Amino acid sequence: MKIQYFALLRDITGKKEEDWPQPEATVGQLVRDLVAHYGHAFERWVMKDGDLWDLVIILVNGHDVRHMQRFNTPLAPDDTVVIFPPVGGG
Amino acid sequence: MYGWIGKVLRVNLSTGKISTEALDPAVAKDYLGARGLGTKFMVDEVDPKVDPLSPENKLIFLPGPLTGSFAPSAGRYTVVTKGALTGAIASANSGGTWGPELKFAGYDAVIFEGAAPKPVYLWIKDQTVEIRDASHIWGKDVPGTSDAIRAETDDDAKIACIGPGGENKVLFACIMNDLHRAAGRSGTGAVMGSKNLKAVAVVGTGAVTCADPKTFERAVMTARDMIQKHPVGGTGLRLYGTDVLTNILNSIGAYPTKNFQDGHFPTADKLGGETLSATLLQRPKGCFSCIISCGRVTKVTNPKYAGEGEGPEYETSWGFGGDCMIDDLEAVTKANFICNEYGLDTITMAATIACAMELYDKGLITREDTGGLALEWGNAEAMVEATRLTAIGEGFGKKLAVGSYRLADSVGHPELSMTVKKQEIPAYDARAIQGIGLNYATANCGAAHVRGYTIAPEVLGTPMKVDKDTIDGKPELVITFQNLTAALDATGSCLFATFGIGAPQLADMLSAITGVAYTAEDFMKCGDRIYNLERQFNLAAGLTAKDDALPPRLLQEPIKTGPSAGMLSRLPEMLPVYYQLRGWDENGVPTPAKLGELGLAA
Amino acid sequence: MAKMLMINADKCTGCRNCELACSMEHEGVFRPDATRVHVYTWEREGFSVPMMCQHCRDAPCITVCTPHALTRDPATGWVNLDDAKCIGCKMCVQACPFGNAIWDELNHKVLKCDYCGGDPACAKFCPNHAIEWVDDLIATRTRKRAFSEKFKQAFSE
Repeated sequence: MKIQYFALLRDITGKKEEDWPQPEATVGQLVRDLVAHYGHAFERWVMKDGDLWDLVIILVNGHDVRHMQRFNTPLAPDDTVVIFPPVGGG
Repeated sequence: MYGWIGKVLRVNLSTGKISTEALDPAVAKDYLGARGLGTKFMVDEVDPKVDPLSPENKLIFLPGPLTGSFAPSAGRYTVVTKGALTGAIASANSGGTWGPELKFAGYDAVIFEGAAPKPVYLWIKDQTVEIRDASHIWGKDVPGTSDAIRAETDDDAKIACIGPGGENKVLFACIMNDLHRAAGRSGTGAVMGSKNLKAVAVVGTGAVTCADPKTFERAVMTARDMIQKHPVGGTGLRLYGTDVLTNILNSIGAYPTKNFQDGHFPTADKLGGETLSATLLQRPKGCFSCIISCGRVTKVTNPKYAGEGEGPEYETSWGFGGDCMIDDLEAVTKANFICNEYGLDTITMAATIACAMELYDKGLITREDTGGLALEWGNAEAMVEATRLTAIGEGFGKKLAVGSYRLADSVGHPELSMTVKKQEIPAYDARAIQGIGLNYATANCGAAHVRGYTIAPEVLGTPMKVDKDTIDGKPELVITFQNLTAALDATGSCLFATFGIGAPQLADMLSAITGVAYTAEDFMKCGDRIYNLERQFNLAAGLTAKDDALPPRLLQEPIKTGPSAGMLSRLPEMLPVYYQLRGWDENGVPTPAKLGELGLAA
Repeated sequence: MAKMLMINADKCTGCRNCELACSMEHEGVFRPDATRVHVYTWEREGFSVPMMCQHCRDAPCITVCTPHALTRDPATGWVNLDDAKCIGCKMCVQACPFGNAIWDELNHKVLKCDYCGGDPACAKFCPNHAIEWVDDLIATRTRKRAFSEKFKQAFSE
């Protein structure tokens, strides 16, 4: 599945986007994979108190997971996941 | 008085009379300052039916009670007038350092009346106020104006001025201060030009006082801490500026493209804040007392578009970018620099060009009309040239100078102008985001995003996340944001402080500096009062509920591609609820009961 | 080890919170004209520098001060101004090569940074670490580290 990174996450992952080789069933499992791979620097911009940080924008095919099932939002192998850390406004 | 100075400067440019008067504490208490106080002066002193470019209109510059203090990011001022572009009440808000300097000079407001017979500028040094000849400065761009005036006044004078844009009465000309900051929208610069007023130069050596310094400092430190801990206010805006919104809006399919024909732009990343920071950004910049520093000091070295200055902000990047189907950030930044140097509102300039591109595409204007300019979608050179021509008032620029509504109307198709009350809609698609569409339709100054920035909850998720696609609860949300923003604007605070703080913190700081007690409810009520007063001015100016409308495209033509494809604005369902919750009748007129509640005259 | 106010001009955004903090601390009002730290901004380039008394070891202001209102405290190394002894001749204002001794006409006195007695308000209020109250021996460590990293990168390739 395709993952696109924006803002600080581009510096932290070193990428704008990547084809993640191990498709996961839910958004939460994917995020945990990414945290394991990229470490604390990634985690602190996506997680808060062990859960998805409310200000993080995660989109699955352009739709905000905060209005779906958050970390339980299901994923299909050809989905595009977009992750924005909470940095934008104006 | 504390916080406020207690003095208003009045300048009649027709007679040359300069006078001062006391600021009525009762009025200050109810309307605060800046946008609120300015609207009160307009309603009390100006016939709402005046021609905005006539001497009967007034032009008022006002900081707020927090301006000049170390309240975080609270150094702003507002220009209030009847807008040349809209014919509605206009209150354009600007940062930089000009507003605080006026407070240090000893004034809560400068009211300009009439019109000077020849070009003049006003020179304020504390109590010494002079109307000076500006004939030798008329025609200079903003940097040239600043240099010339400083050479004959003071090296460190803070200057608010118009460029050739305002002199030529481009209907969307703006007022610039500190070279790179703009009191941008609704054509305040044209009003200033119509008064033959080139600039207001200020040096202030006095003080802004504080009623309770210890309590104020505590309230300020609390507010600073909340803003610094907020990821947007504390980190994001400094790293990426507002342009970081490009990719966010595009990723949800709410990035208006091709004059709102669509909502998604495949190459938007080339215009975004990440790209800006990696390529053109020199360093961040902060306005007076700011702890956020969203300002972008930028430089383009490519000789084709060379220049330096500040910006582009998100709206500018969007307007000259995706709205025109352009993805060349250097061209966009150059157009931004031209607007700053000549004093033009970037949002209206850009959206007017986008509209012109659609008219050109449809054959409603031809290459002959444009003087040979190939105004094709995506033609970055033509976009920059169109901007330059508008700035210097030549060729096709003269036709663009009236804004998109009058341009489209002149060829019989006003519906192709994406405006509300003749002011161009900014960078968030109302079909993909329901609340912001309601805000565009009901903002008193015409389409504007900052009047009720529901993008924060609807897209970003701050202070809480609401679904952008529902209409439930949106009228209430828009009203709350509009009222909070009106009160906040009236204090001199920057809107971006709300990435962190809200009414309680603003009320605490306001109470401690002025010595007048405000609860959060009092604060919101001030906002409600200001909002209704603006509405009254507009109704008396001849605007009606018909003007609380979006262009037909947003109600009838769904977004074509991207994650929000198929969507339309549901404004007609939200508007009646909005009126009702506002305490207005079905025609959008405030009821006597509502006016009574706010202490407003019928 | 003593402390000093370190100026990191590359971090200054021109917000002037330092000026406001200083004037509130010393004068009880917000009056940038009466501050002991001033931010100089180049508007076109958007570059700003906060400036304040550097408490020079060989201070020209002390040399010209005939009533000895300006003295150097050997324990702290600070240059202190005793308002009671000052006659307001403004010779220190002429002598300081950096322009950091300021004459306040409103109150008829000389203004000069006094480090707020050891807890400078400007450093506390600066939101960008453009002014830092740091131990003198490590004051430049951040810069050394930042620049030496360029060598590290160059030699790593």
